[in-house]
Amino acid sequence: MKSILTMALIPVIITSMLNFPDAGEIIEKVDKNMRAKTQIMESKMIIHGKRNEREVVSKSYSEGTSKSFTEYLSPEREKGTKMLKLDDKLWIYSPETDRTIQLSGHMLKQSVMGSDLSYEDMMENRKLTEMYDAKVIAEETIDGRKTWVLELNAKVVDVPYHKRKMWIDQERFVPLKEELYAKSGQLLKKTTLSNIKQIGNRWFPMKVNYKDMLNDGKGTDYILIDVKFDETIPEYIFSKASLKK
Amino acid sequence: MIKFIFKAILRDKNRSLLPVMIISIGVFLTIFFSGFLGGMMGDIVDQTARFETGHVKIMSKAYAENKDQLPNDLALLNADSLTKALKTEYPDFDWVQRIKFGGIVDAPDGNGDSKGQGAASGLAIDFLSGNDSEIKRLNIESSMVSGHIPENKQEALIGHILAENLKLSIGDTITFMGTTMYGSMTFTNYIISGTVRFGVAAMDRGTVVVDITAAKNFLDMNDAASEILGYDNAGIYSDDRAKTITDSFNAKYTNSTDEYAPIMLRLKDQNSMGTYLDLVDVASGIFVSIFIIIMSIVLWNTGLIAGLRRYQEFGIRLALGEEKGHIYRTLLLEAVLVGVIGSVIGTIIGVTATLLMQVYGIDISGMMDGGTMIMPTVIRAKFSYNLLYLGFIPGLVAMVLGNLLSGLAIYKRQTATLFKELEV
Amino acid sequence: MRIAFQLAYKNLMGAGLRTWLNAGVLSFAFVVMIFFNGLIDGWNQQASIDGVNWDYGNGHLLNNEYDPFDPFSIENGHGILPKDKQKDLSSVLIRAATIYPDGRMMSAQLKGIDANQTVVKIPTDLLLKSDAEIPAVIGERMANSAKLEVGDQVLVRWRDQNGTFDAANITIVGIFETNVPSVDGGQIWISIEKLWTMTGLENHVSYFIANDNYTSGNIEGWNFETQESFLAEQAKIINMKKTSGAIMYLVLLAIGLLAIFDTQVLSIFRRQKEIGTYIALGMTRFQVVRLFTAEGSMYSLFAAVLGSLYGIPLLWYFAVKGITFPISGDSVGIIMANTMYPIYGIGLVLGTILLVIISATIVSFLPARKIAKMDPVQALKGKIQ
Repeated sequence: MKSILTMALIPVIITSMLNFPDAGEIIEKVDKNMRAKTQIMESKMIIHGKRNEREVVSKSYSEGTSKSFTEYLSPEREKGTKMLKLDDKLWIYSPETDRTIQLSGHMLKQSVMGSDLSYEDMMENRKLTEMYDAKVIAEETIDGRKTWVLELNAKVVDVPYHKRKMWIDQERFVPLKEELYAKSGQLLKKTTLSNIKQIGNRWFPMKVNYKDMLNDGKGTDYILIDVKFDETIPEYIFSKASLKK
Repeated sequence: MIKFIFKAILRDKNRSLLPVMIISIGVFLTIFFSGFLGGMMGDIVDQTARFETGHVKIMSKAYAENKDQLPNDLALLNADSLTKALKTEYPDFDWVQRIKFGGIVDAPDGNGDSKGQGAASGLAIDFLSGNDSEIKRLNIESSMVSGHIPENKQEALIGHILAENLKLSIGDTITFMGTTMYGSMTFTNYIISGTVRFGVAAMDRGTVVVDITAAKNFLDMNDAASEILGYDNAGIYSDDRAKTITDSFNAKYTNSTDEYAPIMLRLKDQNSMGTYLDLVDVASGIFVSIFIIIMSIVLWNTGLIAGLRRYQEFGIRLALGEEKGHIYRTLLLEAVLVGVIGSVIGTIIGVTATLLMQVYGIDISGMMDGGTMIMPTVIRAKFSYNLLYLGFIPGLVAMVLGNLLSGLAIYKRQTATLFKELEV
Repeated sequence: MRIAFQLAYKNLMGAGLRTWLNAGVLSFAFVVMIFFNGLIDGWNQQASIDGVNWDYGNGHLLNNEYDPFDPFSIENGHGILPKDKQKDLSSVLIRAATIYPDGRMMSAQLKGIDANQTVVKIPTDLLLKSDAEIPAVIGERMANSAKLEVGDQVLVRWRDQNGTFDAANITIVGIFETNVPSVDGGQIWISIEKLWTMTGLENHVSYFIANDNYTSGNIEGWNFETQESFLAEQAKIINMKKTSGAIMYLVLLAIGLLAIFDTQVLSIFRRQKEIGTYIALGMTRFQVVRLFTAEGSMYSLFAAVLGSLYGIPLLWYFAVKGITFPISGDSVGIIMANTMYPIYGIGLVLGTILLVIISATIVSFLPARKIAKMDPVQALKGKIQ
């Protein structure tokens, strides 16, 4: 009896595996799209507060995943605030105090400029495939675009989110939606990516909405004003000395 | 007639000095006791008012609902114009803004790196406007352990244990990291101008007191305030007065559906102070009445004695043919005069003492190794207008009553026994 | 001396109403003094008892890294204590968490406590009885500020030992009423075993609450904070209130003494003939002074008797029924019961009696000194001097 059942199931499993492509391959393609040796971005963050809406403009330089430097350009109060990330360290420079302070522990949990993003969210250096086992679990259509639904389960212990779900555009290999889950399965955060543009030979989302699902509120919009890939960034940018300039 | 009796009182020390003295002392004690009791019972109320509730407090409705969490994101906007309007509209109250905020204190070493960090809470009050009412109200001067009160926007006072823990001394710079009203991380430097003792370990270990204008800038709260506190210029909480202005203020916003509209709360409406206030009223009422009864007994006794000791004199006056009724009337008139003089003197001394106790108080900070901000180490009395007449009840009424009774003996006296009284 | 007291007693009883008035006034000072000090002592004792019953136990054994005053020390302030050293200790593990009542965000401390403990009064038995996934008990203040009721579920987000987010609903199975703010505001109590599985920090403890049998020894990595040191600060604050009380009843005492003084002055004035007679009968002036002083100080004895007549039932009543002060010491973190029960110690009562007798004797002696200067012949004649 048992063997008959197993025999019957095998074709089902095989066909489903045939239908869905390998998740690792998808992620690799996504990485090709989304990642670059270096990136220079000018972006606008729209924070939908309870009582008002704020826009924060910043310019950031990054090299790989471990080095990044951000300078805030507006509004007036944030102007001149700079942030430097090297591997797992994060420094912030504030012009009013003329001090560079390393954020650690509890401070990394603070929100970035009042948005739904925490500093910690920006600290992740590792590749998704290093942290998660991925598999394609379904096919869905979002705004007329066919997507693969990927489920990522943590394979290492020290990840902030135990499980993620990603909706990847089947044609352009750009994520259109991502959900972050707690160990218990509770949905914690949701990211929606839109306004996908072609830049050179890659597709890139020009607008991202981050939303903390436990909180009331409309979340934070992240809009790219300008992005450049693979331009050489001088090494001194990623040094503590550049914070004080 | 009165002039004549008055002269008699002045010239006969027996008639005047002792009774006046005793009445004065008695009246003084009555007034001082009542004032002191008021101060003591009101201690907790006063402390709550100074630190937490004000006599009245204005917050946004949303802030009021979550005020335990110090939700500065829900703070009142247009606070400056509101404060200004309050000042012109209700000039009987002193209107002040305060902000409480949380954050982290970072102490830099010589190279600008961090030599220590600690969780901190900030209290922003008015140091610099030239109005020192907040400095006095929060008892800051006497709770200073070292240094001086902030004289500019950069200066701050910190809890004395925090200073010890981070090895900070006067003149050192600290960086305060906090969150703006809109949730951004924000930084500012303060120069430590002094250390202060709150008297509560948690605050001594983590509180930074700064000027409000600096804090507003730091917290991105220009023209915003978490709380606007009103303090009755009379110095003490009067529920009637608080209710009048609370009703008039809130009437303007009754139809507002804005969850950030301001709402004014009386002290009585906050921190479950209402029941306590009622209790204070009842208890001090009972205490003062018991006290007045006791004092009346004592002073009645004095009146009685004052009459008794003059039986001999009455005997002579009767023998000389003075009418009994006339003697009785002059006796009572004298009693009234003595009572009034004694009560006036007693009231003056009592009110002065009460006022002195209200303004200066008795400093028992020695017991607490130094003054503290939260737990008042100065015992104060509380002046109220009823003190002005309270002393006359035992002083005048009891004195006259005593004489009234002892004087009745005049009528009982037979002329025949007079000579016995005159016996030499 | 005995004769002086006998005479004084007879004289006073003879004076009737006035004696009782004086004694009555003085007795009131007595009663108030004992009552007020008793109230403060009662508060102090109750605060100590509450503190011990709800929080301090017989002291805390704290992990070196954990500082109760520094919320950031929670993160790393925990460790494993060998089982053999855990005798007479109940474990508590603290973790930072965020709760979301009605979509609002509120930080809180998740406190895991040994659910079988009996050392503190936190109703951990409710945690054992409940079938809920994560049963929790909270204090009344916490319930009010998060607007939670028994049976409510609220979403809590925390991190496990690796920093991975986790979130789940907890069920409030009990709300306890306590005067001790340090176990209430911003805290959620769950079973420590549950918290261990939730965070993966098996056997980790932030601090232990010791019971009465615990003997502290030096344990590497842990500090023992004694019960006394917890209680010292509280006692200091409360005792300050005694000083303000002292001023109040000293004023009361002054009035009683004023009455005695007044009476003494009069009686010496009125009883000159009597004084002359005593001296004529062979008493020395000094003996007469003593007689009058004894009379004065006897008021205080009468006052003690009178005071006990109405004072004992009254004070008894308060001690049993308590006095309700509807106010909380939350804002400054002191423990303050709604209803305080005064306690009257022997030392307090005896001390008060002694104080009143001594001061009454002094004020009686002052006017009586005059007698020593009197001319006995003139006195006998009743001549005013």
